[in-house]
Amino acid sequence: MTMGLLLAAVDQCATAPPSGFSFPCFQSILLSDVWFGPALTVVIITVVSQTAGVILGLPLALGKLSRNPLVRAPVNFYLWIFRGTPLVLQLIFVYDGTAQLTGNSPLLFFLNREMLISGAITLALNEAAYMAEIIRSGLQAVDPGQADAAKALGMTRWQTLRRIILPQAMRVVVPPTTNEYINMSKNTSLLLFIAVHELMQEAASFYSSNLRYFESLAVAAIYYLAITSALTFVQRRIEDRFGERQEQRAAVKPGFLRRAFIGAGTE
Amino acid sequence: MASPSPLTVGGVKEDGGAPVVRATDVHKRYHDLEVLKGISLTVQRAEVVVIMGPSGGGKSTFLRCLNHLEKIDSGKIEINGHLIGYKESTGGKLKEESDRAVARQRAEIGMVFQRFNLFPHMTILENIIEAPVHVRGIPREEAKKRAAELLEQVGVPEKASEYPIRLSGGQQQRVAIARALAMDPKVMLFDEPTSALDPELVGEVLETMKRLAREIHMTMVCVTHEVGFAREVADRAVLIDGGVIVEDAPPATFFSSPTHPRTQQFLSKIL
Repeated sequence: MTMGLLLAAVDQCATAPPSGFSFPCFQSILLSDVWFGPALTVVIITVVSQTAGVILGLPLALGKLSRNPLVRAPVNFYLWIFRGTPLVLQLIFVYDGTAQLTGNSPLLFFLNREMLISGAITLALNEAAYMAEIIRSGLQAVDPGQADAAKALGMTRWQTLRRIILPQAMRVVVPPTTNEYINMSKNTSLLLFIAVHELMQEAASFYSSNLRYFESLAVAAIYYLAITSALTFVQRRIEDRFGERQEQRAAVKPGFLRRAFIGAGTE
Repeated sequence: MASPSPLTVGGVKEDGGAPVVRATDVHKRYHDLEVLKGISLTVQRAEVVVIMGPSGGGKSTFLRCLNHLEKIDSGKIEINGHLIGYKESTGGKLKEESDRAVARQRAEIGMVFQRFNLFPHMTILENIIEAPVHVRGIPREEAKKRAAELLEQVGVPEKASEYPIRLSGGQQQRVAIARALAMDPKVMLFDEPTSALDPELVGEVLETMKRLAREIHMTMVCVTHEVGFAREVADRAVLIDGGVIVEDAPPATFFSSPTHPRTQQFLSKIL
């Protein structure tokens, strides 16, 4: 079945006139069932790597705000590296560069052999650097009087952060973070460079065999647009809920995602 | 505030014993600027001390040192006979306490801020039970019951499930007082509690503070410019200017015949 459709696509495109847009070719590429796997890969890597980036971003943000220069220095170094070099360089560097450096050490199996995992890790490490800045600005947007009040009530630094500062910082952090999910879905296309089987590579495999660049890329674009549109819809749902709460100056509480989609419970 | 119920917080008046607050030769500097140049102040149990002085004179900084929201460079602060923020290491040097130990000490010291600082993401009730539940480990239901009593006592009983933004400044500040009282503090610190309020809301907050002094004999240190409050409630009025205590006298003397020219100068501006 798969082979049949792929061959059909090749046929429709092979018989199309060499210049101009060929609708039969476009249609045969669009209807090919080879896109499903790569599309799923894009969605999964987007969710996994971005979420890991958010989680790693928090300790980096706290490190950047630390009063201790021995904590700040390595964090700033990390941010300098990951924000100062191209993502595509980082992807190849982690996948192939470290392999050379360690002579294909089996310890780095996941970084050097599993391109999907290697790519997902690098995307997460890169994104953590950007999330660190987003989370830092959120933390700094909270009125310092809030920390004073929490401490004066006898809360420890950790309690103050978790129960008072973070929930309020979320109001500032959530909107740009949802944007980062959308950006991440597009950044997965750079995984082409380490041969991960995602949408961009699928498009490339079409146009490199049939030379129908326009039709192949147009179909890939449609898949990317479907994914980013779905993410935008999710983003709106989150921010609608969120905006309402913001009017009350009530920040995000645990379970806000559940409430955004299943409906707000009465509180 | 229609006939609020009587206050029922601890703080029973006890005579004698150690002073509740004892600050000894407190120095504090920000880089090259010395803001506190050796302040010593003792506050007895159930005493109400009002601190006045020009802005930038160090009075708020001093208050914030009392619960270690600000570090001090030398001197010492004791509350109920316990060193605050520091411990004595061998050789008598003072070393800063751990975060956890400082938190435990602060739980005994109530503080009310100029800008209320209620937690905007929590309801009024949640604001009040937050520390009793998560710092003291009091069961939630018990803390709620106590919070309801306190809200009644400060005169905002019907607002428990509202968010702070829905309350007037005066109501927010009274909730902030209730939030501090929920921890049964040994002493209450007030940092210009009425300065951010619209004039018509000042009275209700001062009234609540007066009741703390009169009904439960709370030990209070108040940085404020409310002369009426000072005259009526305070046992002593203190003027801090230029990082030192310039005048420390009963309100009657402080306002009518201050000894120091800087006090006279300051009073001529605010009276």
